[in-house]
Amino acid sequence: MKKGLSMRTRHYFEGYSFISIWIVGFFLFMAIPLGQSLYYAFQELKITTEGLEPTYIGFQHFHEAFTIDLEFPTFLITTISSMLFQVPLILIFSIFIAMLLNRQFAGRALFRGIFFLPVIITSGAVLQKLRDNGAETLPIFRNYNLFTKLNDFIPPSILLPILEALDSLTVVMWDSGVQILIFLAGLQAISIQLYEAAKCDGATPWESFWKITFPMIMPMIFVNTLFTIVNSFTKADNLVMTYVQTVFRESNYGYASAIGWIYFLISFVVIGFVFFIFRKNLTERG
Amino acid sequence: MNSNQRIDRNMVIARHPKVSSLLTSIKKRGLDTLFRLVHYVILISISFVFIYPMLYLMSKSMMQSYDLADATVQWIPKGLSFANYDFAYENLIYVKSFFNSIMTSLTPALIQIISCAIVGYGFARYSFPGRGIWLALVVFTFLVPPQTLVVPLYIFFSELGWINTFLPFMVPAAFGHGLRGALFVLIFIQFFRGLPFQLEEAARIDGASAFRTFWSIMFPLARPAMLVVFLFSLVWHWNDVFQPSLYVFQNAQFNLTQMLTILNGQGEAELSLGAAAGSTGALVTIPTFANRIMAGALLTILPMLILYLFTQRYFVESAERAGIAGE
Repeated sequence: MKKGLSMRTRHYFEGYSFISIWIVGFFLFMAIPLGQSLYYAFQELKITTEGLEPTYIGFQHFHEAFTIDLEFPTFLITTISSMLFQVPLILIFSIFIAMLLNRQFAGRALFRGIFFLPVIITSGAVLQKLRDNGAETLPIFRNYNLFTKLNDFIPPSILLPILEALDSLTVVMWDSGVQILIFLAGLQAISIQLYEAAKCDGATPWESFWKITFPMIMPMIFVNTLFTIVNSFTKADNLVMTYVQTVFRESNYGYASAIGWIYFLISFVVIGFVFFIFRKNLTERG
Repeated sequence: MNSNQRIDRNMVIARHPKVSSLLTSIKKRGLDTLFRLVHYVILISISFVFIYPMLYLMSKSMMQSYDLADATVQWIPKGLSFANYDFAYENLIYVKSFFNSIMTSLTPALIQIISCAIVGYGFARYSFPGRGIWLALVVFTFLVPPQTLVVPLYIFFSELGWINTFLPFMVPAAFGHGLRGALFVLIFIQFFRGLPFQLEEAARIDGASAFRTFWSIMFPLARPAMLVVFLFSLVWHWNDVFQPSLYVFQNAQFNLTQMLTILNGQGEAELSLGAAAGSTGALVTIPTFANRIMAGALLTILPMLILYLFTQRYFVESAERAGIAGE
């Protein structure tokens, strides 16, 4: 194949023409708004008849967020701690389910259909309604009888957290639809020969999980970790998310931008940490 | 395939004269059955967790106040009544809200299929200077929380006069952005990367332009990826409450999820009224209103459920084929 310079420039030009719409969109809906919101974060925005009138106030909004505002720090801590608690659980649960579904068995299609049901309903308003009415948590765990019965054997200071963890387990299950799908796709890509070879060499299923399955699905673990974190940062019932909206509704634009940026920075620290953990895996793949 | 081989090996052992090995094979088969049983028990119990809310919704939405007063009624109401549904259907202004939901979910989903496919194709099939940086920026846009951009985007759209229209949902989608647009671009990149290059070479030799090659050869091939993107985009847009509540303030443009929130607000108002009127009033209104909201919630997700019922098979299959899993 001959590759003249004109051929190459044409190739570049064609490539760019395909992604050009995205680049334009990136500036319009991402880069410029992001810069503006950083600018607003340092301004007090007044609504006048001619539009918004900014006055520079420096770090006052940021200072306010952590010292004067009583709600924001607690919302932030709850959001982050529940995320840190749920991400590993979601990952473990979805690997487990994906492995169950990856086997050949009768009724596989039906079970798959059921397990991806959360993808359809978990996001948004309907789930919120269900959660308000206590449908998302199974009555088995919250059941008063169970509590009083177990109370005789286990002190409540230990029992209550256990029951709460079981409660949040259902939330975890409901949040892992997409992750199961991704893991399942990853598991399907592993060739059966690998397992057969390991079996011939006398590997137990436990060993072949850690030596074959786990390294092979490492990229999916990375993708899923990212997805789960982003998902929990942007969930509709996320406290910070609703708080930003409330502040925004009160037309306190400067402050809304400031807490938006604080949130952005924190989420990037978390995501950066994930990249750091998986860096070896990422560099290996080039 | 695996189990077949195991059976073969078991048969070989069984043919062996030693009785002890025959015994181990029987033991092993028993263990297999036990394992299969445990497998099913786990699957069924987890399925129950997923189906439970649906059953709960259906059961509660059918119940009337007399069912709630009746202690013998746990799951199945005494009589068949769709009164709650009638109420929810009317108060959600269903047909109008359904149309609005279509405008805020189906149209952006269809637009995203095309725009994200174009962008994904460019990334997957061309190498050009700066490609790595742009690709990193695609990932970056996926990671930026929408809260950070709320204020400038709102001001931008209101300056354009797009508030209370459906344009804030459609225009970003047309540029390959919008709700999780970056993720859809990545799905298309992944898919197009897996196709053989000969397809394009043949078309190019025949004199087709780059875009024509894409549009008439490569794009139709991307059906599995299209299906995944379409379904995810549709469902996420349908259930999204964040964007609609930012850009749409007029009742006439409210979609189903927004109407459901209003319905909930009405319920709370009625609840506090009932509580003020006295304990008897509160006892009657609290549960029935919750049941009406359950009916409303079911009506809101019903279109998605019906869609899922029909596309479920393709959804799972094509998600596997489209390589949603990334690298």
